[in-house]
Amino acid sequence: MRQQSVSSDLIWLDHVTKTYESGGPPAVADVSISVAAGEVVAIMGPSGSGKSTLLNLIAGLDRPTSGTVTVAGRRIDSLGESARARFRAQHIGIVFQFFNLLDDLTVEDNVLLPAQLAGASRRQARVRARELLEQLGIQDFRDTYPARLSGGQRQRVAIARALVNRPELLLADEPTGALDTATGQEIGRLLRDMNNAGQTLVLITHDPLLAQRYAARTVRVVDGRVAGTNAGVPA
Amino acid sequence: MRWFGAIRTATRSAKRHKAQVVALALVMMIATASATLGLALLAANDAPYQHAFAAQHGADLSVTVNPASVSSQELAATSTLSGVTAAAGPFSEASVQTDFQGQPFGQLTLAGRVSPSGSIDNLVLNAGHWPDGADQVVLNGSPSPDNPGVGDTLSVTSTSRPLNLKIVGFANSITNTADGWVIPRQVSALQSPGAPASGEMLYSFTHAATDAQIRADMATISSALPPGAVTGTGSWLTAENDAAGNGAIMEPFVIAFALIGLGMAVLIVGNVVSGAVIAGYHRIGVLKSIGLTPAQVVVAYLRRIGGPALVGCLLGVAAGNALALTVLHISANAYGVGSQHVPVWASVAAPAGLLLIAMATAFGPALRAGRLSAVQAIAAGRAPATGRGYAMHRLAARLGLPRPVGIGLAAPFARPARTVVTLAAITFGATAVIFAVGLTTSLSRASASQTLSDTVQVQVSQTGSTTAAPTAAQNAAATTALRTQPGTLHYVAVYSQGVQVPGVTGSVNISAYDGDSSWLGYALIAGHWYSAPGEVVVNTAFLNTSGLAVGDVATVNTGTAQVHVRIVGEVFQPNGGARMYGSTSTLTGLATAQNLEEFDAALQPGTDGSNYAQTVNSALGSHSPWGASSHTHGGKFYTIASALIGLLAFMVAIVAGLGVLNTVLMTTRDRVHDLGIYKALGMRPGQVITMVICWIAGPAVVAGAIAAPAAIALNTATLHAMGNTAHTGVPASFTQVFSPTRLALLSLAALIIAVAGALLPASWAARSQPVTALRTE
Repeated sequence: MRQQSVSSDLIWLDHVTKTYESGGPPAVADVSISVAAGEVVAIMGPSGSGKSTLLNLIAGLDRPTSGTVTVAGRRIDSLGESARARFRAQHIGIVFQFFNLLDDLTVEDNVLLPAQLAGASRRQARVRARELLEQLGIQDFRDTYPARLSGGQRQRVAIARALVNRPELLLADEPTGALDTATGQEIGRLLRDMNNAGQTLVLITHDPLLAQRYAARTVRVVDGRVAGTNAGVPA
Repeated sequence: MRWFGAIRTATRSAKRHKAQVVALALVMMIATASATLGLALLAANDAPYQHAFAAQHGADLSVTVNPASVSSQELAATSTLSGVTAAAGPFSEASVQTDFQGQPFGQLTLAGRVSPSGSIDNLVLNAGHWPDGADQVVLNGSPSPDNPGVGDTLSVTSTSRPLNLKIVGFANSITNTADGWVIPRQVSALQSPGAPASGEMLYSFTHAATDAQIRADMATISSALPPGAVTGTGSWLTAENDAAGNGAIMEPFVIAFALIGLGMAVLIVGNVVSGAVIAGYHRIGVLKSIGLTPAQVVVAYLRRIGGPALVGCLLGVAAGNALALTVLHISANAYGVGSQHVPVWASVAAPAGLLLIAMATAFGPALRAGRLSAVQAIAAGRAPATGRGYAMHRLAARLGLPRPVGIGLAAPFARPARTVVTLAAITFGATAVIFAVGLTTSLSRASASQTLSDTVQVQVSQTGSTTAAPTAAQNAAATTALRTQPGTLHYVAVYSQGVQVPGVTGSVNISAYDGDSSWLGYALIAGHWYSAPGEVVVNTAFLNTSGLAVGDVATVNTGTAQVHVRIVGEVFQPNGGARMYGSTSTLTGLATAQNLEEFDAALQPGTDGSNYAQTVNSALGSHSPWGASSHTHGGKFYTIASALIGLLAFMVAIVAGLGVLNTVLMTTRDRVHDLGIYKALGMRPGQVITMVICWIAGPAVVAGAIAAPAAIALNTATLHAMGNTAHTGVPASFTQVFSPTRLALLSLAALIIAVAGALLPASWAARSQPVTALRTE
């Protein structure tokens, strides 16, 4: 485990602790992790181990109780709510286990939304969205509502949405957890292809096979602490 | 008991849903307070004089006696006469001339009383305290900004030596038995030199409902006293007639506001309660899946709603009573009664009715939940229903609006029923605000027209300091004083007399103007102000009584001549029965020294009325029967009515805003997961607030568009109803108070109410952590 940040690190968590209830046990305790740009890292652990809390801290969705979180060279733990939202929109894409698509927006509008929130014009955003939809093979569904899509198609839409602002970091929380095996593998390969194209990726998973197959490095988390790190062998 | 045990366990989670419980209780509290106030106003509006008369043991008859002609024993004996049920007095009294701040304040009849309470004419002390020493006075009525208040001093000018009376309070006599009260030993010091002593007896009778019965009662008293003992009488019917005039005029708008308040209360409760039950469908599904029967589900949900609703109702009735204290104090002033209270039935009916509405509203969705299968209930609990509002989202996305704005504007279509009810609540609130502004303007114009307060800044009238009528020389001196003042813009002498007009029962009050009177500014209902010889204008009461119309010719008997006049206009003047206005050259014979009532003067712009009046008074000298006073305010009734309208509109707007707050809260709760996604995707707090406010902005704009014409219609209908009550037509200038620009600005009231109501939940939504929101589902 590396203990010091180097200039190529995209993510640097330094002695991060997160406690939800005062006096209660920490969800994350004194964790220090770094992820280099272009790396694929899997954060793996059983349910309740604190891996989702780590994702929330890296994504700026939550603040640590102590320690510092630096992403893309910027301390995000000390940013205000608006600044964190702006940072998230510009630098981080998130793929959720249950897709978290907005049911009342079409596929294309779902993908457009982060770009528009970041201030892009609809025309600029649409060019990028259509490029992504085509790249992910779902261009025929751009006017369809998410409820009419299969699980795999929904996750592709979620990935397209996460990538629309060309984020430096893609966080994927159990990206295959809600999918059948074949579709899960398909999504896994898609993520690996993205990494091959230079996309930094952090996978949150409890599935050792997924971590082993797609991540170059796996950080094991148990009871909120880093229990070990080992290099994977991406298939 | 096991049956209820499962329900108790199932509903125990209410403590974990504090926001929903608090919101429901809050809405019930506000609705109950609003309904209590509405019912209290309706009750206050129902025969207010009669109720106050009974509560304050009003005197059926007040009899002024000459103590020199009758003994105390003889007066005391009248209390046992046949038909007399109660008697009080004699109260010594004195008539005094008063000044306030150097200007004539008028003649007051002051009675000596030890305390305000009594078996008859129980006075209601509205402000200050009862006189507890010499040179203190309590005035009949209530404090008002335009008149002396508690702590001010009145100068008594009619006594042999100057005397000041400090106003220590205000009290209301329901039968106006005196203009003010002092301690009994003060009365002798207030007697004018040479004026006879005077006393007052108050009576209640078995039969005193009609003028005939009052006359019979009077005869009974008079016959029991020595000749010359009775010098004057006052009937409760006269006092009732005076009070009923203003009270009846208030009825239409008080009822309008009360009904708006009640309607909104019902709407908001229905919206919130049904929303709360529907929001619980998911949980209902879970409960059914673990074995709760349909009946248990229905009871569980009624119980879940009933608890907070009951607490809200109880708090609301207390809040309603507290609010009513202020409102009823104002309405009591307007009705001319001492005090009004929230009736017990209103304090019972409002919470009971609202609780019933809440439970009835909850029953439908709860019954539906009970009938749904577990799976259906879980699916139904996910909001919003699939497909609703999607088309609007697509449209909004293509409009090129900032995304938070587009998403916010499309959101109301996901819950159309809730949106319609919220729209109705905002419409009610905005209508009340626009209506209040319009009605206040209308009443202000009515006040200005009736009292000429906008045009006549100074009036020169007889001070009453001498009993003899002014001489022609004194009248000429007054004319000269006005003509020579540099600040005079217009002035005109007004001659008044009651005359006979064939076909009209009773006398007609004529005002004949010696000079140009077109600047006076009487509002015209029809026709035009007189401009040629032989032309007159009249009020509605004249036309109603005579059966004549504008354009007809009337014959006026001025006492010295028969004059044929053509009616060329109908003016707004609801007071004083049938009235006619014309020039002294048309109404020949009226311009005599005895008939000269006053001079009305308009001042050059920038001239101070008080300074002008003082200069005129200096020119007239202290021995002149004429005195000038500035005339800057309208009628007391209009001031009180405007205050009441403003307060009622403010309260309705507050209730509407709280209705919006609860709707937005419910929507926020529905969409909490979506909010989490938006935030995770980079939506900033400011964008969240914009989006949430836009949820309600669309309905608010529609509400404003509906409220504007609704308020115009309501204002016109209310003014005509008030006019009908006062037996007068309404000039078009009173109803045409909304210019397009003004109406457009007033329509923004809907948006202001909506934004004010949405801001708090919007900022809560903006502050919520995305992680918390994403975990919620």
